[in-house]
Amino acid sequence: MEYLKPLKLKELFTMLKSSGKYGSESAGRGKYIRYIAGGTDLAVQIRDSGIKPSTLIDLSAIDELKGLSLKDGTIRIGSAVTIAEIAESKEIPACLKVGALSIGSPQIRNLATIGGNICNASPCGDTLTPLLVLKAEFELASDSGNRLVRAEDFFTGPKKTVLKENEVLKAVHIDKNNCTGVSFFKKIGKRNAQIISQVNVSVYMELNKDKKIVKIRAAAGSVAPVPLRLKGLEEALKGAEVKDFGLEDIYGFVNSDIKPISDVRASSDYRRRVTASLIYDILEEAANVN
Amino acid sequence: MLINFICNGERKQLDVEPDMRALDVLRDVLGLTGTKEGCGRGECGACTIIFNGKAVNSCLLYAPKLDGSEVSTIEGIKGPDGGLDPIQKAFLDEGAVQCGFCTPGMIMSTKALLDKNHKPSEEEIEEALSGNICRCTGYNKIVKAVKKAAENE
Ligand SMILES: Cc1cc2nc3c(=O)[nH]c(=O)nc-3n(C[C@H](O)[C@H](O)[C@H](O)COP(=O)(O)OP(=O)(O)OC[C@H]3O[C@@H](n4cnc5c(N)ncnc54)[C@H](O)[C@@H]3O)c2cc1C
Ligand code: FES
Ligand code: FES
Repeated sequence: MEYLKPLKLKELFTMLKSSGKYGSESAGRGKYIRYIAGGTDLAVQIRDSGIKPSTLIDLSAIDELKGLSLKDGTIRIGSAVTIAEIAESKEIPACLKVGALSIGSPQIRNLATIGGNICNASPCGDTLTPLLVLKAEFELASDSGNRLVRAEDFFTGPKKTVLKENEVLKAVHIDKNNCTGVSFFKKIGKRNAQIISQVNVSVYMELNKDKKIVKIRAAAGSVAPVPLRLKGLEEALKGAEVKDFGLEDIYGFVNSDIKPISDVRASSDYRRRVTASLIYDILEEAANVN
Repeated sequence: MLINFICNGERKQLDVEPDMRALDVLRDVLGLTGTKEGCGRGECGACTIIFNGKAVNSCLLYAPKLDGSEVSTIEGIKGPDGGLDPIQKAFLDEGAVQCGFCTPGMIMSTKALLDKNHKPSEEEIEEALSGNICRCTGYNKIVKAVKKAAENE
């Protein structure tokens, strides 16, 4: 196995060109190049599959992928920023912070990156629903330039994204105007520490002083092949007061939005009910914030 | 490939295979077998080391990532007089060690915690140790030991 550690994006693109094809499609067929950031997903995948890439390109030293900053009303999070840094940052809205803090253990969070969580594209990735409700945009870079993709349009299936073989996720952008309200993240899983979510939910709301919901964006993870905006629920809650609806109502709204699978981790109806309960808990909490 | 790093205060230059893990480098190349392998997949914390000031799972860290870093392992933990560190003393005093397999990892996680937080609450202690599994003690004595170590540091 070859291990490359570029310091600049330009160097990375040169390496990509000279090393051959990037991506998992060529797995087991000659050249097989993968990016590695923290390695907390990749090291386990390589161990479990027994398939070693012929080349690993380590992204963690690339200048342009580092740093978390607030500039011109936009929060910019470099893709190589660690989950621990996000959990500790003052710039980060509550739902993303809480989601980050819920990942794995301190040891995992110190290595894991936000870019890795996004590009691994697991339906249960815990930063994904926060990024959806904050209307984050992903900056993708290649040697032919950069493009911005909305978080909502980035995921195409479990482990599948719109990222092209010659592209890398450079940074996450969050417009401050999309985080003036309150936001929440909740998840449920089988163990307390190191939970891999069975269901996770994020809600962003702007409330007026009578606790009427002026604006709402909600999303759920692990209930569909991709993290999903709950548009039916949003529609139903908009204009209502946070305390207007009971658990059964919420279950009804959520039911039209999501089609979860049954798997070894949980049945489909369990997932739907848990999603509704998590939303209900969030609304209760929102009723109590000042 | 050649990697240069500082391990427990000493400069090391090693020729490693890129697909080795930091865990293998420590145990098999440097003979530092205090760092343990439990699960090999980031879940148990027995392999915890301090990497650039932060607790990480050495079973998930490819060897090339060590290049240019500073690492401490359980072998580098000692008190000011060269004897036991207050954390180690507290673990012994509180009976927080039974089979001992989790202990090096527990101590490294405790060290990382106390280095940045001298007076952790019980909640902060539990959070800091949440990535370390112990099958013997039931954790109570470990939490007590960490509190005691914090008082004595
Ligand atoms: C014990 C354990 C517990 C965990 N618990 C959780 C949890 O509770 N919640 C959760 O969401 N996850 C969890 N994870 C999964 C993992 O830690 C996270 O998904 C993490 O954020 C991945 O980041 P990384 O930098 O380690 O990714 P890596 O493993 O380095 O990379 C993951 C994938 O993304 C690609 N990639 C990385 N960066 C980029 C980039 N900039 N551009 C393009 N592609 C890129 C890599 O090629 C790879 O395919 C857990 C993992 C372990 C081992
Ligand atoms: S051996 Fe590394 S976490 Fe279990
Ligand atoms: S003392 Fe045996 S695993 Fe902790």
